[in-house]
Amino acid sequence: MTIHEPGKRLMHAIPLKFVQKKVSGHGGRSVAAELSLTSMIDFLVTIVVFLLMTFSASGETSLPNGITLPSAEHTIDLLDAPMVAITADQILVNGQPMGNTRSVVEANKVQKIEELFNSLKGQRDVYKQLNPNKDFPGVVILTMDAKVPAVVVKSVFQTAAFAGFPNVSFMVNKTGGKKPAGGGGGGE
Amino acid sequence: MGGVSVEGGGGGKKSVNSEVNMVPMIDLLMCTISFLLITAVWSQMARINADAQVPGPPRTDQQIDKVEPEPQLHVTLGPTQEGGKKRSFSLVWKAGGSQIKEEKIEVQAVEEKGTVKYPELSAKIESQWNETGKHREASDKKFDQAVLHSDNTTPYSELIGVIDAIYAPQRQYKVGEKTEKASAFNVTFAMQ
Repeated sequence: MTIHEPGKRLMHAIPLKFVQKKVSGHGGRSVAAELSLTSMIDFLVTIVVFLLMTFSASGETSLPNGITLPSAEHTIDLLDAPMVAITADQILVNGQPMGNTRSVVEANKVQKIEELFNSLKGQRDVYKQLNPNKDFPGVVILTMDAKVPAVVVKSVFQTAAFAGFPNVSFMVNKTGGKKPAGGGGGGE
Repeated sequence: MGGVSVEGGGGGKKSVNSEVNMVPMIDLLMCTISFLLITAVWSQMARINADAQVPGPPRTDQQIDKVEPEPQLHVTLGPTQEGGKKRSFSLVWKAGGSQIKEEKIEVQAVEEKGTVKYPELSAKIESQWNETGKHREASDKKFDQAVLHSDNTTPYSELIGVIDAIYAPQRQYKVGEKTEKASAFNVTFAMQ
């Protein structure tokens, strides 16, 4: 492929005088608008600072389908702990079904949920094997649908306690108000 | 284009005026804004704690002194009235087997976006804690205990509303060198 000399270019070889006249503003209002870079950069920097201040690396966790969390005001920050999700139909640990919510509701009696117990106990044993010199924190986070009845809440709570997780936390949506440090956060 | 102007340049030497290229700077700002907007978390999740109070195994090497039982607040959810808008509660302070104080109240439930709140209950619990609560000092590592009694059919959202009301009373709590505000109670469930 041969290289050709470039052809005529606009504004050089072809003067387009009427355009130049319009742009430079002679004889009429210029069509070129000035953009104030100072205020634009100020605006962008303000947005960046605001977003950086509100940025949080934690606080977002994916919820299984069918769970609507309730909201609470006096909450504490989430921590890294085993998570049990309880929907209207089933109990899930790491996405794996570990019990049936309906059977607990039908029994209408606080009971130990065997599959959940075995799963949590397994997690506890694994932690103890991997960290023989560390104290086991015993924290489990329950992610429950707002409509789940109290018999399921109490059954899961009791099962977690039996499996060696006495500090049970309930995941909620945080609403206004200042966060308390302890008390409700005894599990730290 | 933007530039930095320093007086006294020129005179045959290289000019001290230097141009800052605005295009990459604005590109960078735009990219940062896009990244932060995409990764922003608008709904914050948190947790509310409950304690199952599992006692540890007895230690044979230590002599156990007789401990005076501490007062505990027992909050019992009663039946609802006016189509669930009002609920009765029983607040009982007990120390061991003896009852210190009992009060029955009816409070208005405030529903916000599917969440139930009991502001009157939290005010009542706060005033009772001010009278009867034991663990108030910032250096005190223990918290007063609240026990929640409910029937088997109460929805979880209402339980959270009650737990949230119990956590309303705040006290000072020393964490290392810092003193922070902390909820005055630890909550557990009564198993029936």
